[in-house]
Amino acid sequence: MASTVQCMPGDERLISGGEGHVHLFGVRHLSPAGAYHLRTLLDQVKPSVVLVEGPSDATEWISQLSAKGVVPPVALMAYTESLPVRTLLYPFASYSPEYEAFRWAAANGADAAFIDLPSDISVTLYEYRKQALLERQESEQADEVLQAAREEAFESKRQYYTRQHQLYEQIAQLAGEQNYESYWERHFEHDGKMEGYRHEITELSWQMRRLLEDDERKADPIESAVNEVRESYMRLEISRRLAAGIPPEKIVVVTGAHHVSGLDGSLAPMTEQELAKLPRTPTKRTLMPYSYYKLSSQSGYGAGNPAPAYFELMWDCLQDGALDNLPSLYLSHIAQRLREQGTYRSTASVIEGVRLAQTLASLRGSNQPILEDLRDAAVVTLGYGERSVVAEAMVRTEIGTSIGFLPEGISQTPIQDDLNRQLKRLKLTKYKSAVATDLELDLRENRRVKTKELAYQDLERSILLHRLELLGVSFASRRTLRSDAPAWSEHWVLQWTPEAEIQLIESTLKGETIEWAAAYAIRERLAGCADVAEAAKLVRLSCDCGLTACMEEARAALQRLSVDGQQFTALAQAAFELSALVHYGSLRRTDTEVLVPLLQQLFFRAALLLVDAAGCSDDAATQMLSAIHQLHTVSQDQHERIDDEVWQRQLWELASRDDRNARLSGYAFAIMLERHAVTEEACEQEVSRRLSPGIPADLGAGWFEGLSLRNRYALLSRPSLWRQLDSYIQSLEPEQFRRSLVFLRRSFGAFEPREKAAVAELLGDLWGASASMEAEALQEPLTDDEQTAIAALDDFDFGDF
Amino acid sequence: MAQAATNALRLPAEVLYAHELEALKETDKAPRPAGWQLSPRAVLTFITGGTAGGVTITPKYIGHSRLVEIAIATLLTDRALLLIGEPGTAKSWLSENLTAAIHGSSSKVIQGTAGTTEEQIRYSWNYAMLLANGPSEQALIKSPIYRAMEEGGIARFEEISRCASEVQDALISILSEKTISVPELGQELSASKGFSIIATANTRDRGVNEMSSALKRRFNSIVLPAPADLETELDIVRRRVRELSNSYEIGAALPADDTIRKVVTIFRELRLGTTLDSKEKVKAPSGVISTAEAISLLTGSMALAASFGSGEVEEGDLAAGLQGAIVKDEEKDRLVWKDYLENVMKKRGSEWRPLYNACREMNG
Repeated sequence: MASTVQCMPGDERLISGGEGHVHLFGVRHLSPAGAYHLRTLLDQVKPSVVLVEGPSDATEWISQLSAKGVVPPVALMAYTESLPVRTLLYPFASYSPEYEAFRWAAANGADAAFIDLPSDISVTLYEYRKQALLERQESEQADEVLQAAREEAFESKRQYYTRQHQLYEQIAQLAGEQNYESYWERHFEHDGKMEGYRHEITELSWQMRRLLEDDERKADPIESAVNEVRESYMRLEISRRLAAGIPPEKIVVVTGAHHVSGLDGSLAPMTEQELAKLPRTPTKRTLMPYSYYKLSSQSGYGAGNPAPAYFELMWDCLQDGALDNLPSLYLSHIAQRLREQGTYRSTASVIEGVRLAQTLASLRGSNQPILEDLRDAAVVTLGYGERSVVAEAMVRTEIGTSIGFLPEGISQTPIQDDLNRQLKRLKLTKYKSAVATDLELDLRENRRVKTKELAYQDLERSILLHRLELLGVSFASRRTLRSDAPAWSEHWVLQWTPEAEIQLIESTLKGETIEWAAAYAIRERLAGCADVAEAAKLVRLSCDCGLTACMEEARAALQRLSVDGQQFTALAQAAFELSALVHYGSLRRTDTEVLVPLLQQLFFRAALLLVDAAGCSDDAATQMLSAIHQLHTVSQDQHERIDDEVWQRQLWELASRDDRNARLSGYAFAIMLERHAVTEEACEQEVSRRLSPGIPADLGAGWFEGLSLRNRYALLSRPSLWRQLDSYIQSLEPEQFRRSLVFLRRSFGAFEPREKAAVAELLGDLWGASASMEAEALQEPLTDDEQTAIAALDDFDFGDF
Repeated sequence: MAQAATNALRLPAEVLYAHELEALKETDKAPRPAGWQLSPRAVLTFITGGTAGGVTITPKYIGHSRLVEIAIATLLTDRALLLIGEPGTAKSWLSENLTAAIHGSSSKVIQGTAGTTEEQIRYSWNYAMLLANGPSEQALIKSPIYRAMEEGGIARFEEISRCASEVQDALISILSEKTISVPELGQELSASKGFSIIATANTRDRGVNEMSSALKRRFNSIVLPAPADLETELDIVRRRVRELSNSYEIGAALPADDTIRKVVTIFRELRLGTTLDSKEKVKAPSGVISTAEAISLLTGSMALAASFGSGEVEEGDLAAGLQGAIVKDEEKDRLVWKDYLENVMKKRGSEWRPLYNACREMNG
């Protein structure tokens, strides 16, 4: 049954101004009705000062928040100047009561100010709280008594919060609602009278607080203490205003309803001496756009609400004085979205939905449907009973994709300004949206445009996006769609999120512009770099980011490191990175010729190390294979610049050595074969040498595996090779054969079906079978005997390999 | 009106719960919509349980009270209601109890089959009289929907999706215009206030026809889910088994709580395709494993025990029932059941051992 929390007569809190008292207005953050009623109160009282719960050192940002052109949701962010960066966020939506207070103050010439603890203190206090949590996890080595005490403390804390949660749910249950969120909406958001709202919210919070306060002090002393400090500071701020001679009835204080009873003047404010003792960590403040998605994903009191777009709709209706329109607005929004997706729903269904929602509300004795009623009505009338049909339309209507906007000239960190400038310059502003959007870039010069700037616009864009990626700002992420995409094309996915903005603000500590910050990030990584491959990557990164000076530094570092480089794989990788740079450097309009001597040096060193490095285990061989491939690619791409002869000589040496990893020798031989450096005769000779009867199976078959890893057509076009393989396999003892199977299966496993068919054909020819016979044999299903034989292989002992 | 014959096999809801309805009528002070015998809130109490003037109202539909609320709200807006769900999710049960509570009569029913014709939905003629006297009121045979329109009551249309689509569509104009015209008599019947239709439809079964979207649009559709958790389902099964065994006067003792829990556990696991602790995957059988099946399995086992056994439900009786409920498509289901027995039930320890042995023997 619908019944509000009972209120005992004579127990009412003093909330309205009255003689010598300030006006306290308790709100739930992000509550349209709260904002609406607050405005009514402000219009009545006409205060000269409006005090709002929020960091008092950010008061100067209030006028910016309510400036023309600012589109909520926006957030005030405080961050520490030192690493690790700690941040505090205060989001505001258009329907936040606090935001309404700013707007009213700006329009009516009143002073608006924040009165909560300054951010440099609260960030420190929050840190204490977090540390207390960590201590519990870290204390595993601590002695048992201490550990037990901590466990107990944690347990009682958990119990306390469970109880708190249960209490709220109990209220909802008593009122016959499904959950507290529904209770809240039905009883507060849709209740039309300001005095009633103000009185009930204060009463509810006060009684809740009285019920829980003592328990909180015991279960979570830190939280309770922080709350105490905050309130006594707020009292101090209020008393400062009073001391300055502002009459109390001209002051309106807007805080979370929970704090109203702590501010009613019966308790003493914090003294200036006490304030001086509080710990501080220097912070800076800035404004940033926020998104409804982010608001909706942070549930919990004050931090967000689950359906911001719906609440905005409600706020719009409230301002027009037409809250009755909300159900039809919500449902027609959903019908519209459904139609956009191609599911047709009629207006008649929307009307039925509104009627159903209203009837559902009337079952609870109210005439305004709440979100839950509307959702159920949408499922029943528009989804034909299936939630999944309307789910996406619902999310779009309730949460939406809106993000806030701050116009130029609104104070932000230099790096935020810089990004906005860059986005504007490169015509990327429209990509700053909550919906992920694809962006294709063509780095080549565009000859059809007039100005030089436009000709290289895509290149500039690429540089900016690379810099953001380097800084860890998740605004842009690069996608590789096809492996054969040309080097001049890049594919990016752009999506703006509040997290990206926070990451950006955090990089402000690295530099005032994106370019400086990116350069700083590269230098930071260079300073800790001890690996050739990593250094080469940094050279390439600086080139991608258009940071020529950094590239030179990275090059120097790479050279220094390469002198002592002994690792073939790392050197090969470094050479590969540089080769790519030299090859495509002109595309990025960077002079890469300076890299050539270094590339030659790296290549030469790597080539000389090849044979030694190839004496490795099978596990390491896999890495070696890709390194050899990389180095070979370099030798092909840069054959004018590097010493190809040395490379060939080394490959040949590796191919002919018997004491190196057989797979690598096979691979080296395959490369030589590909380059036509081996005569038919030499090839036959080598194959028969490698696959002669006396050679152990793992060596022979392993060599063949390496051979088959490269160009298979070179193998398929040489029947003699297959004859040799055939006779080799036939010569094997049963035990040897079983061993070689593992390698052979691995090498043929990578063949494509048509290549396998070609092998079968070759072997068929060798054995004198006709093409049709062998096709038939391949298509035939396995016989039972064959299946048993294959199943027996499941028990094969791989222990030796 | 249904006559409460004392020897009827199954009593309609309004007779079965007559005293509860009486008690609700007496205590119900809230305003009643036109044509309703109870206020919406009292109807809700009747379905979801509570007390009225010292009389305990047994819950008829457990677990999803919000759905019942939506159903009542739908009928309040004089819209037709469509209850959709898999077999055995208490669609007909809910529709019968709703009509009983709202109008005190749940007997205006069309039982939809593939052979249902349009005449059964609108009206038909007593042909002897039609031929003798020509069209007249007396020769008119009114369908349940026709009668509900006259009285301002609720007609039930069971298994609407089993009717041919053309026959279903006969409802379209009835639902939008709320009239049936009888051109032979040159008259038109307009529905009295309070008229509505509750239809039930199966989604996952053989031989069901898709409903046209024109018809769907005229219904408020509610999908009835399977019970959300083990305890809810246990509660439902326990209550219904007790009620049924009373009305059928089965001589056996009620199955032990533990036995019901085992059966419901097996059913839920097979239905969800995973063990209750979600640690193991279970293959699902081809048929639908509903709560209603669990209820009839238990009453069936009781009947077996009473007539041929010791009078107490034993493992053998249960095993026979389980075999029949789960193995419908012979070969495949037998394997599924065997899989379940060996991989899940066998590992459950000594408590389950007798049932496991009996089932294994039965499954062969």
